[in-house]
Amino acid sequence: MALTPDTLTRHELNGLPVRVADAANPDLVGISGRVVIETMKTFHVDDGRRVRQVPKEGSRFEFAIRNTDDAARASVAPAADEAAGAAEASGSVSQLGTETAGVRPGKSGPSAAPRSQGRGASQHDGDGSPRADECEDTVYVTVDGTRLLSRPAARTERGGDSTWQSD
Amino acid sequence: MGADIAAERIERLAELAAAATDEGEFDRSREYVRLARRLAERHRLSLPRSFARSTCDACDVYQRPGVNVRVRVQRGRVIRRCDCGATARYPYRD
Repeated sequence: MALTPDTLTRHELNGLPVRVADAANPDLVGISGRVVIETMKTFHVDDGRRVRQVPKEGSRFEFAIRNTDDAARASVAPAADEAAGAAEASGSVSQLGTETAGVRPGKSGPSAAPRSQGRGASQHDGDGSPRADECEDTVYVTVDGTRLLSRPAARTERGGDSTWQSD
Repeated sequence: MGADIAAERIERLAELAAAATDEGEFDRSREYVRLARRLAERHRLSLPRSFARSTCDACDVYQRPGVNVRVRVQRGRVIRRCDCGATARYPYRD
């Protein structure tokens, strides 16, 4: 099973480029970088300068998935049977959303401009920062952090889609 | 269903661990290796041969020859000495 928007919550998140779309702590909103370590309740995100620790609970994460035609196919038909309340915040888009909530700290004005300029000018343009090239085969998946609250090794077994009714 | 995802996670973790070792992030490499081993344990998968051979049994680090392991050959065996001091030996076929 490849890494698709459907399987993201059960798949490996280490190494994926991520952006914190929303967080309980406003200082953490807008952090973007690679996930370097996942713990049960937090992610460690390497934003190029240092490693930031972001709690999963109360946050929404936007993961960027590269390549694969089946990822694009899955995004055309997102899982329609996700009726759980916790899952309604998740979804996937082919383009980067206008980040109204995600104004990067320390920067004013619309954040569409720093995405093209500021990130290219920041120091992690070399090691394949996948957001620099917004090509069509990149899918951005937004996931509620509470769906990822699990031990990293156990998430494949019961990540996200329980067969039991949740209320 | 979960087992094939787990197998792919192990592949990804092996790449991440190798990259972490190359960058000198040995503790991060250990985290990835431990997570991959735990996944294999939970899903009753055997680790790939290349993964088992290039991770240290003692300190869990992913080994890259010249970076953190010295590899030599002696009497039909490959000997890998990790920087932690542990030695692994396994035979090779000619």
